[in-house]
Amino acid sequence: MPNALTYATWDDLPEGAERELTAGPLTRTDFVRFAGANGDFNPNHHDDTYAAASGFPSSFAPGMLQGGYAGRLISEWVGPAALRTLRLRFSAQAWPGDMVICRAKILRRFEEGGERRVEIEAEAVSQSGEVLIKALATAAPGD
Amino acid sequence: MPLDPAVLKREFPEFEFIPERGKIREFALALGLEDPVHFDVEAARAAGFADLLAPPTFTRQFWHENDENDPMPHLGYDPKRRLHGEQEFEYHKPLVAGMALRGRNVISSTKEKEGRRGGKMTFVVIETRFTDAAGDLVQVARRTLIETAAPPKETE
Repeated sequence: MPNALTYATWDDLPEGAERELTAGPLTRTDFVRFAGANGDFNPNHHDDTYAAASGFPSSFAPGMLQGGYAGRLISEWVGPAALRTLRLRFSAQAWPGDMVICRAKILRRFEEGGERRVEIEAEAVSQSGEVLIKALATAAPGD
Repeated sequence: MPLDPAVLKREFPEFEFIPERGKIREFALALGLEDPVHFDVEAARAAGFADLLAPPTFTRQFWHENDENDPMPHLGYDPKRRLHGEQEFEYHKPLVAGMALRGRNVISSTKEKEGRRGGKMTFVVIETRFTDAAGDLVQVARRTLIETAAPPKETE
């Protein structure tokens, strides 16, 4: 059995605590693999000819790929069962060759629904610093 | 966008959704997830889940199974001007492989706003609610779709 991940607990997550994850450089194979997994076959994500006809310089990543990396960063940090909400806002496209650098930070600690929760702000940026995704999550970390 | 006001608050027919182990594994691997609860059944059970746990963004794709319960054709969007602005999830119970889920879509809100580059933008929020065999809410997924005044420069 593969090793279980160790998640951050309430005490590990003071306001301002940070975590980072880097994915990439993105390839068209990453896009196609994700399209197959996600069931979204918008040709803009794998067909350069189609993307050019739509006015784009090339095919580009499905937004839920970068969004998925942001979700992965947060769920592997606090534990997937701790997640209560996750909101992803799509800001810009990621292109083949781009890096996706995801950063998450604890914004505040509070009580809600009879449990201790943290609010997590995250973003995914490219190697040039362009914001691809802005995310906001809440989670109830373990003790 | 010729959005019919009657579409607002409209509920679409319920659909069946049984998340499969293979699909959960494939999704987790495509995102490089390292948490074995998403791809190793034994590890998922050891962590207290009944089966493989779906990654947090997994339900994005499973929001209808046919045209009857798909709200999109009823919105009258121009596909060239449509973009996926936001995606939101609420987690109420662990969503694991083999659960007999029911999904239902409702158009939860619409609004119009002046775009940064001029022209009118239309926002539509489609909410998908997933319930389990006991009727308990498992997860809510909300997508905000935007129709821009001109073909989008930013899109999913």
